[in-house]
Amino acid sequence: MVSRALLMYIASRAATFAATIFLAFTITFLLLRAMPVSAVENIIASMTAQGQVYDPKALIQLRRSLYELFGLTGSPVEQYFRFLYRFLTLDFGPSILAFPTPVRELIMNRLPWTVGLLGFSVVIAWIIGNILGTLAAVFEGTKLSKALQSIALVIYPIPYYIMALVLIYLFAYLIPIFPLTSGAGVLTQGLTPAAIMDLIRRSTLPALSIIIPGMLGWWFLSSRTLTLNVLSEDYTVYAELRGLPRSYILRRYVLRNILLPQTTALGLALGTIFSGALLTEVIFAYPGLGQLMYRAIANGDYSTALGVLSLSIIGVATATFILDIIYPFIDPRVRYR
Amino acid sequence: MRALLRSLATGFANVYTRNLKFRIGFTVFMAILVLGLLSLWAPPGFESWYSYPKDRPPSPQSIDLLLGTTTHGRSVFWMLSRGVLNSLIISFITALVASHVGLFIGMAAGMKGGIVDKALMLITDTFVVIPQLPLLIVLAMLLKGMLTMPLLGLLISITSWPWPARQVRAIVLSLRERDFVTVAQLSGMGTGRIILSEIMPHLLGWHLINATNTVLYAIGSEAGLAVLGLSILDKDTLGTIIYWALSYSAIYRGIWWWIVPPVVILIVLFTSLYLISVGYTEYLNPRLRYQR
Repeated sequence: MVSRALLMYIASRAATFAATIFLAFTITFLLLRAMPVSAVENIIASMTAQGQVYDPKALIQLRRSLYELFGLTGSPVEQYFRFLYRFLTLDFGPSILAFPTPVRELIMNRLPWTVGLLGFSVVIAWIIGNILGTLAAVFEGTKLSKALQSIALVIYPIPYYIMALVLIYLFAYLIPIFPLTSGAGVLTQGLTPAAIMDLIRRSTLPALSIIIPGMLGWWFLSSRTLTLNVLSEDYTVYAELRGLPRSYILRRYVLRNILLPQTTALGLALGTIFSGALLTEVIFAYPGLGQLMYRAIANGDYSTALGVLSLSIIGVATATFILDIIYPFIDPRVRYR
Repeated sequence: MRALLRSLATGFANVYTRNLKFRIGFTVFMAILVLGLLSLWAPPGFESWYSYPKDRPPSPQSIDLLLGTTTHGRSVFWMLSRGVLNSLIISFITALVASHVGLFIGMAAGMKGGIVDKALMLITDTFVVIPQLPLLIVLAMLLKGMLTMPLLGLLISITSWPWPARQVRAIVLSLRERDFVTVAQLSGMGTGRIILSEIMPHLLGWHLINATNTVLYAIGSEAGLAVLGLSILDKDTLGTIIYWALSYSAIYRGIWWWIVPPVVILIVLFTSLYLISVGYTEYLNPRLRYQR
């Protein structure tokens, strides 16, 4: 079954994938080098100025990894490759914020929280948004469809973090049914039913702030447009003339055609999980990567910030790559080229 | 140049009279712009703390107290007005830089084709892959304390030129194959002349849409950076007002008039800019009118 063409296709996609990641890190490297500040000395100076006593050995290690992260050791070529190596292996040395815990460990601790929240919210928004969009197109012209469309026009351009502020105001202040923050430290007593209920209650607002803009914004608008396009195609009109039942047309003609591009878009959206809702987490004090990044900023912890950046680059590039690979399997019209 | 301006003016008149979305968006945007410009006549002391009693709820007795005062004893109305102006200045700088970089790169890629096209598009696509907010955060973190409004505008431009570039390239590619361009080429017109007199007039509308979208994106990015405390914190922008309100727990303390106005203005601003962009797109590409 594995043909030569398929192998060639995978190889070429893998090359593009490698090239993108490589270029992305190169651009990050160049941008960091172009900065007019000597960040490392600032960081070390501010750390020692706070009067805390650090283990000298650990400090030397920190300075070395910072120099490598900012591409400041050795010849320019060497600098560049050290930088690349650290980014690709996600090895960012010790964190400044939680010195001397490695950045990688901090990130790994936060990862399940972010992936859980975002994975759930993105998928839910996708499902509901697509259903609403398709229905709005099928019942085009009705009052409800028009109302939904106007709502979508308003909601689509609003960034999720502004939506988060609106939700806080509405549901934590005006009608206080949800807690203000999602707070860390839940689940410390283990997975009791009460703890799980509490977790759900605390995560509802952060999740809604991602679900609402996605659901009523992009997913609604795009699935509606796609459905309207398919409905105006000749083959759909012909199917109607043949007297095929409406539900059959919707299932076999419309749904199949809109699911393809929408699945692709879902994959891409899932790729942005690591950077998808940094600010929602900050606003709700949700213990994920976003909050980690926020603390990193507040404490001048550049290694952690670069760690989150690199993780999000790898996430998006990998999602694109995986989609490219599986696309021919789900869409018979795409041939390996 | 005069021809370009004239086509711009007639285009505007046409789209304004024919497209409802554009008309609503444009009117609302102008109203917000006026609100921003009002701050040029703000009372001199409005930037300093404690020029007003603190934490006063909104009251209609004077324009200074119309939206209440903050914990810093500052008038929310004048902060909001200056915030709108500053946010618009930052985003106009971004729109000016990013949409023109995008225009130039997209045009070069589209007109040259071949290896130039491939190389430019690889770079553009890579910038699309780099997550924009984390990149902006890292860069703004390094420049913390040194940021000025033009610099912040430039910083946001780094992540906002790729979309215009892709858009312009796609349009140039389709224009290049049109008959009138071929006719111009066959009649011996130089590439520069063709770009200016045959391609540009068709591109201009899309360029304006790209600029509008960039303004939208830049306002959002500034607000996003500000929530993290990475904007210019001693200047009023829509983002920094939200930042200070959040860091003084305005919502929890019930001082809603500090945070609601900037959020509402942001939402109205986003919606109006989006309506302008959608309306103009529908005008340029009437087929979309039935699809959207």
